[in-house]
Amino acid sequence: MSIMTKIIGAVTAGAGAVILFYGISNPEIDFLVYFVGLIVMSIGFSLFNAGRTVQERKPPPPTVTEIRCDNPECTFKEIRDFKKGDYILKPVEVPCPKCQGTMTVHGVYMVREEPEQKYAV
Amino acid sequence: MQFGQEGDFAWILNIVWVVFFIGYMLYGARLQIWQWLKQIEAGLLEIKRMRNDAKEASIKTFKAYGRSEEDVTRELDRWLDYFTIMPVDLDPAGVLRRLDHLLDERRDRFQEFVAELAPDATSAQQQTLENTLEVSQVLDLIYRVVRHFFILGKKTGSQIIIMQIHMQMPDIMRLAKAYFDAVDAFSEGKPIGDGIGPLVVTKFAREYGGTPETYVHEVSREVGYYPIEVEGRTVYALRATGPGGTVGKPGFAVKKIVDENKGKIARIITVDAALKLEGEDMGRVSEGTGAAIGDPGPEKYAIEQTATDNEIGIEAIVIKEDEAAAVGVMDKKILDSVPHVIERIKASIMKRTKPGDRVILAGIGNTIGIGL
Repeated sequence: MSIMTKIIGAVTAGAGAVILFYGISNPEIDFLVYFVGLIVMSIGFSLFNAGRTVQERKPPPPTVTEIRCDNPECTFKEIRDFKKGDYILKPVEVPCPKCQGTMTVHGVYMVREEPEQKYAV
Repeated sequence: MQFGQEGDFAWILNIVWVVFFIGYMLYGARLQIWQWLKQIEAGLLEIKRMRNDAKEASIKTFKAYGRSEEDVTRELDRWLDYFTIMPVDLDPAGVLRRLDHLLDERRDRFQEFVAELAPDATSAQQQTLENTLEVSQVLDLIYRVVRHFFILGKKTGSQIIIMQIHMQMPDIMRLAKAYFDAVDAFSEGKPIGDGIGPLVVTKFAREYGGTPETYVHEVSREVGYYPIEVEGRTVYALRATGPGGTVGKPGFAVKKIVDENKGKIARIITVDAALKLEGEDMGRVSEGTGAAIGDPGPEKYAIEQTATDNEIGIEAIVIKEDEAAAVGVMDKKILDSVPHVIERIKASIMKRTKPGDRVILAGIGNTIGIGL
C-alpha cells in the first residue's frame, strides 16, 4: 500500500470532516452538505484503510536449554541459551558442579508472551 | 432532507448529491473490491517475504552439509513445488493402502533428495533437513495459492473469488506465520510442540528403567519401543526414533506389536498434541476415547482396525496447543504438562488393566530435538 494513497485518504477524510462540521454548524445551509461531508469522509477512510500496514515483527523470545542433575537428591538446575546440537534428554558431558553426578538436558523451550485475555467469557 | 430547496448554492449541492448517490450505487461495490484487493495484496507481500526468508534459511542450512550454495539453490527451486497426487476415492475400497503406498513413495523421494543435497549430514540431520524443506514447501504453496486467487480475482473482477480469499486472509496469515516461525526450530533442530507425545513416552519409560540401550529399533519405519514393566504390566512404550525430525509410522508399529502378541494386549493408549480451541489454556491435558494421531489416514486406520479386530480398549490423552506452538519451538507450558500426562497414563494403566496384562503406550508426534 503506497504512502500516497494513505495521504490522499487522510486528506479526503479531513476534507469530509470539515464539510460535515460546516454542515452541522450552519443550519441555514442546505442539509445536503451534511450528507456530502459524510460521503467524502467515508471515501477518505476507505482509501486510508485500503491495504494493511505491515506490523513490525517482534523477534521471537530466546530458546533456552534447561539442564538438571540426574541425582534425585541433588537440586542443581542450569538454564542457558540454546546451542545448536542440544536436544531434550541429551547427556551433558560436564559433571554436576554441586554433586559431581551426571547431568541431562531436561528441556529445550521458549517462554512465549501470553496475550492479555480480552474476553471474559 | 431539503432536496429542491431554494438558495444560492442549492442547485450545486443538489447536483453533487445526485452525482454521489448515483456514483455510490454504480461503483460502491467496485470501491469495496478495490479495498479488498489492496488488503489481499498487502497480505500476499507479507507471505512472499516469509516464503523468501524461509527459502534463504533452508539454503543456509543445507549448504552446511557438503554442496555449494548454487547447487542447493537450484535444487531447492526444483523441489519446492513437489506434489503428491491423492489416490482416487471414487472406488474407496483399498484407498488407504494406496494412500499409504503413495506416502511411502513420497517419503522415499524426500529422503533421496535430502541425501543428495546434504551428503555430509548424518541420518538424524537428514531427517531434520527434510522437515526444514517441508516448511519451505508449505510457505511456497500458501504463497502460490493466494497469488493465484489474487491474480484471478483481478483478471476476472469476480466479486466472489476476491471476497472468498479476502475473508480467509486472517486465517491464512496465521497459518503462514506459524510455519514461518517454525523455520528456526527445524533448521536448528529444536524440539517443537508436536513432539510432546514422544517426549512424554520417553520420560515415562525412563521412570521405569527404559534407556536408549533397551529401545527396540525399527518395529516399523523409524519407530521403536521401550519394553518396560509397570506395576506387573508389560508396557510397550512406543515412539518414533529421535532426535532427528520424524513422525515415523506408529500406527503400523502398534499393529505389528498387537499381531506379535495375539490376544495379550489389553489396552492401547495414544498420547499426542491436539489443536486447542480459542480460549482454552495452552498445555491443558484432556483425555478421551479413540486413536489420537493426526496422519492423513493409514496410521489411524491401522490402530483403529487392529483395536477393533482384537477387541482392545483404546484411549487418547492429548495436550492442547495452538498451531504456532505445535510447529514452533516447544513452549514452556507444554513442557510443564509432562508430569500431568504421566500421572494420567499411570492412572489409566492402574485402573483399566490388571497385573500380567500387556499395554501399548504410543507417543505420536515429531521427534525433532527429542532424544531417546
